[in-house]
Amino acid sequence: MRTSASREHDGPAGPPRSGSSASITSPIPSNNGAEIVRRVKAVEAHGLVKQYGSVTALAGVDLDVEAGDFFGLFGPNGAGKTTLLRILTGQLAPTAGRSSVLGIDPAREPLKVKAAIGIVPEVESPPSYLTASEYLYFVGRVRDVPRLQEAIDRWIAFFDLDEARGTICRDLSKGTRQKLMLAAAFLHGPSLLFLDEPFINLDPIYQRKLKDYLQQYRDAGGTVFMCSHLLEIAEKLCDRVAVIDGGRVIAKGSVAEVKRDERDLEAAFLRLVGERR
Amino acid sequence: MSYLLPLMLKEEFRLHSSYSSRRMFLAFPVIVALFSFAIAMTSQRLLEATPLPDAILFLHLSAFLYGLGVGAFGFLGAQYLERRHGHRNYLVAMPSLLPMSFRRTFLGMYVRDAVFYMALVLAPMVAGLAASVPFTGFRFTSIGFLFLAALISFLVGMSLSFFVSTVYMRSRVAFAGLVAGISVAFAAAGVFRVLPVEAILPGLSMHYGLPPFATPGAAALAGGMAGAGLIALCVAGALLLVPEQYEPRSVPVAEDELPGVDARLGIVRGYRVLLAKELVDLRRSGTIPKMFFSFVTPLLFLSFTAWFVRNGLRAPVGFNSVFYGAMVGFFGVLLYNWLNNVDAMDYYATLPVDVPRVIRTKLLAFLALTTGISTAFVVGVSALNGDLRLLWLALPVMFVTSVYMVVMTAYLTGLRTNSFLFDPGVLARFSVLAILPDLGLTILSFTVDRTPVFTISGIALVLTAMAAATALLYRGIDAKWARHDFAE
Repeated sequence: MRTSASREHDGPAGPPRSGSSASITSPIPSNNGAEIVRRVKAVEAHGLVKQYGSVTALAGVDLDVEAGDFFGLFGPNGAGKTTLLRILTGQLAPTAGRSSVLGIDPAREPLKVKAAIGIVPEVESPPSYLTASEYLYFVGRVRDVPRLQEAIDRWIAFFDLDEARGTICRDLSKGTRQKLMLAAAFLHGPSLLFLDEPFINLDPIYQRKLKDYLQQYRDAGGTVFMCSHLLEIAEKLCDRVAVIDGGRVIAKGSVAEVKRDERDLEAAFLRLVGERR
Repeated sequence: MSYLLPLMLKEEFRLHSSYSSRRMFLAFPVIVALFSFAIAMTSQRLLEATPLPDAILFLHLSAFLYGLGVGAFGFLGAQYLERRHGHRNYLVAMPSLLPMSFRRTFLGMYVRDAVFYMALVLAPMVAGLAASVPFTGFRFTSIGFLFLAALISFLVGMSLSFFVSTVYMRSRVAFAGLVAGISVAFAAAGVFRVLPVEAILPGLSMHYGLPPFATPGAAALAGGMAGAGLIALCVAGALLLVPEQYEPRSVPVAEDELPGVDARLGIVRGYRVLLAKELVDLRRSGTIPKMFFSFVTPLLFLSFTAWFVRNGLRAPVGFNSVFYGAMVGFFGVLLYNWLNNVDAMDYYATLPVDVPRVIRTKLLAFLALTTGISTAFVVGVSALNGDLRLLWLALPVMFVTSVYMVVMTAYLTGLRTNSFLFDPGVLARFSVLAILPDLGLTILSFTVDRTPVFTISGIALVLTAMAAATALLYRGIDAKWARHDFAE
């Protein structure tokens, strides 16, 4: 079981080897450790509660994600998705309950968790006054990524960020900033990705490119925990899903289990959340 | 404006309440009132040392400087607008989305802050004075006049700052020229005595024409009218200059500058890349000139005050190099505050970096940026005053005070200095921890020639205590801030 960031770029979460073409020929090499990784829980949460004053954002969340899963978390606005993601990634301490990410308690060891995972936050907010390549350099140095320049060049090529190399992040478009945040999360080759609305602001070409990459990442043994409102994309990508509403998990299981007799995930979501309204 | 102003006031109140709590925030004006009451109760003794006209002069200078600090909307508004993608959005950013005028929104900001800070500081100050009437025998009319005149000085400062900062939005050259012009006017009044100070502070001129100085008449009216005219002129000028569409100034950058800066900072090992980023940020965001001005302005004001006390009032107070050393250290807090205002820091939340590590990086940046300026100022002032003999003592005083002040501020306020200093609990602790040692050093500095052995031993003792406190507070940063997040 790997509990820290992979230092090698040929791990399950390694960056693409090929250049910047829209189709990824072989972005992720095969991973012999995938079998081992699949046996353990990548994420566990038991009775997580988060209270903001009198507001209860999470009211006792229980869920688990197995290593190698592509897990999707859905819910209406204000359901507690981002709060849950922030707790699991060590950005926020829970009021009660416990959790474990790659065997690490994020409430006790937030830095260790952050070192082991990649995070794409809900709001694309790279530092205003660094250029795109400087931001990746900064992230790589903080994360101690070996062969850093090589990694930066590959991700810049993958997201076609070459023109943004010398532009400070404040002056980049929202979509370009989102690509940069994705590149920063993938840079160190983590075995677990937490993605909060990763497709937002991306054009269809890059939505497709990201989908392809994430599928290959999962196939190579990587684990993805994704929050999204884009149920159509999620249905194609996710192995297991959970629906959260009012700070509680109201459904969880494989996509088929959650869909039950509904034609798609969107219909299932509307039924599940609609029943509670 | 009728709908915008109440909303903006609510926004400002909620923003400030969020730094601590509603109750704590509302305690702030009560503390101001109590402080003012205490000053009034001891005014008889204070006025023995400082004649009333001089005390009033200092009141107006303080109100004016306070207004200058509050009114820089050209800078502050831009900062809010550029942070609109962060966790917080402000009403001032709404004209980019709604059919609202930027000019009207900026006017709303001006009126909002005039009302807000008047209610937060000026009104409680006057209430404190009024509460002392049964004990001091002050007249209510004099207190009312004091309020009006101080309000004019505050609004003149605010309007001037508003105007100058919007000039900055249009042209840096015009801004530099304007600042130079204002500095010349103040030098003409304060240093060369070519102009009376009341000629550039109409609030003061009005006050000198009112009881208890004079019977209300034409002089007071002229002062009041001049003040109102100057305020109107500055606000109108500023509104004309506010661009209707806000466009951030593009920053020309040298590509991949960060790795080079990082490579040159080997001495700070674990903080290398964080400090390198900090220094690149400061330069590109144009914060360094702002920091320079906000550091040098109070130092010049202090030098002027010392000069005025010594040569203008002919008071036998020995302002020597040690005194300046202590004061330079005290003003270092302003620079630490700037370091926390360069940019939003949300992105750190996704990285294996915690708040204490970033605080320590800011402290390193502070040392890198200020040690040279502070040393140059103390050496320069000592040379100008012919007081180089005490430099050996002044420099350690400056260094220890600077480090103590900034570490203490970092410990108390973390990465949100500006916000937390509005929390009365934090402010009270800050005041005690800042004023006590500084007062000790100031008093000791006055006696260095009379009782050198006693004074130097006393200063050594204070410095040792400050160094020990610095070490404790520095270590305490981890325990206090490790669980805090980066979101604003």
